[in-house]
Amino acid sequence: MTKTKKITTIFILLVILLISLYLAMYAGYKDFGYNMLYKAFNLGEDTDSMILTVLRYPRALKAFIAGGCLALAGMFMQSVSKNPLAEPYITGISAGAGLGIVLSILLFNSSNYSIFGFIGALISSALVIIFSGLSRFSITKLILIGLSMNIFVSSLISLIILVNPLKSYMMMLILSGGVTNNEIISNKMLVIVFCLLMIASAIFIPKLNYLRLDSELLETNKNKKYLYTVIVIIIASFLTSLSVFAAGILGFVGIIAPQISRMLLGQDYRWLFIANTLIGGSLILLADYIARTVIYPLQVPLGLVVAFIGAPVFVFFLTRKGDMFRD
Amino acid sequence: MINIKNLSLKVDKLTIFENADINIPKDKITVLVGPNGVGKTTLLKIISGIIKPQTGSIEKNCKELFYLPQRIKYPSGITLQEYIESSFYKQNWKWFLSKEEKQKIDETLELLELTDRKNTLIDNLSSGELQKANIALGLVSNADVFLLDEPTSNMDLINQIKVLDIIKKLTTKGISCLIVLHDINLSASYGDYFIGLTKQNRIICEEKNKFFTPETLNAIFGINFKVINSDEDFHIQIFN
Repeated sequence: MTKTKKITTIFILLVILLISLYLAMYAGYKDFGYNMLYKAFNLGEDTDSMILTVLRYPRALKAFIAGGCLALAGMFMQSVSKNPLAEPYITGISAGAGLGIVLSILLFNSSNYSIFGFIGALISSALVIIFSGLSRFSITKLILIGLSMNIFVSSLISLIILVNPLKSYMMMLILSGGVTNNEIISNKMLVIVFCLLMIASAIFIPKLNYLRLDSELLETNKNKKYLYTVIVIIIASFLTSLSVFAAGILGFVGIIAPQISRMLLGQDYRWLFIANTLIGGSLILLADYIARTVIYPLQVPLGLVVAFIGAPVFVFFLTRKGDMFRD
Repeated sequence: MINIKNLSLKVDKLTIFENADINIPKDKITVLVGPNGVGKTTLLKIISGIIKPQTGSIEKNCKELFYLPQRIKYPSGITLQEYIESSFYKQNWKWFLSKEEKQKIDETLELLELTDRKNTLIDNLSSGELQKANIALGLVSNADVFLLDEPTSNMDLINQIKVLDIIKKLTTKGISCLIVLHDINLSASYGDYFIGLTKQNRIICEEKNKFFTPETLNAIFGINFKVINSDEDFHIQIFN
């Protein structure tokens, strides 16, 4: 694929993101229409401004960050494992972050949720790595162990929720996924951590272009390969926990966004990095717009909407271009 | 170049090497010959450091090794040039390649006669071209020892010869090659030095003329061969 084609693709994705951002912030029950630009730059004390600053902007921010992070985490994990199923939700990292938050809600009343979330995600990914690395490290084992981890931790969360009816509402929010105000992390903190993670990812991106070579070819540099795998999984677990703070546990995004970007752009991770952030962000922004408008005033759980848009789009791309992971 | 002394390896009680001494000469094509399952691939993996033997010392007088496994998977959706670029991201933390690195890729493609396929998607290359692309990966990584596991499998005769010609060309540029080949006649015409592995864990390291004798070949493969060696003709026939 030529460079111009790639730039055009990124440009189109950017336009889609802007449309999604517009829908997420200015459309819906309170539709700003053509007043949007005026309103956006003249925020005051009136109701309209309050709707934007208190409800819509933070919500859009969380949706974008959650989507972008999940897509990137999926991309990272799939690049080192060369397996399309390697994804934060399936490998139990999302659930680990969820467990961390649920435990902190259970033990403490407020604040510090985020720290526990990070710890939870790190512990679950560390466990997954250690278990799969104890005898001989294999990526297939990593996914199977991650799968078991996911089921185990998810059941543990369900159990905790079941026996703590008083605090169950707050915990359910994390499990079902959604970008409503869940007070797990402040917006400022969210943006700061997101920027830091984006920088860390950007630094590591060129290595993914090396890791795309056949794993047996990389075998002569075994130590480097393992080191990079571990770093990638650490970055991925941080990205995942941030997405859990922003929008709860969401599946599927981590599979479809990386797959679609791969189909559009091939396997140059410098381009995929940008594309994944854009596709993941747009996907959750659009999903959240639909979630809050489709049967207003009821809110459909975000995870449901993601599945409803994601699955058909994904199948469409698969049938048109085929699986990018074929041998 | 590479000296292996007293090499022993047992996998699940099965002895693969026992007190083996192997020597691989510099700037030559060394061909590894033997039936399936005698440990040809294992030997390549031991030399490249992927498998650790139980005993033995391996002395390597080289800068960098390049091991090409028998079957590998290719990342799809990238061009031949991008495929070769992957190798440079090993050391680099940069997002873009330098001019010198790009120039090096161009020179390598020129040497392997792949310049016109540079912008072709890796998915659309023939198996001969893919194998040349892999050799290019080794060349841009500055390797001076190439360990190639059946580099000509799945290829038609013309492509086999093309790839072997390139390997021959490499040895004139200060690169030593150790290759596994199954075609005994191609081995004889391209190889300079031969290592035969037998089912009885015997290792026969010989020059061409001493290696291609009916007795040696019989010891390796367990069937009879006829070696025709006249002034204008050298070939080996299976003689059963």
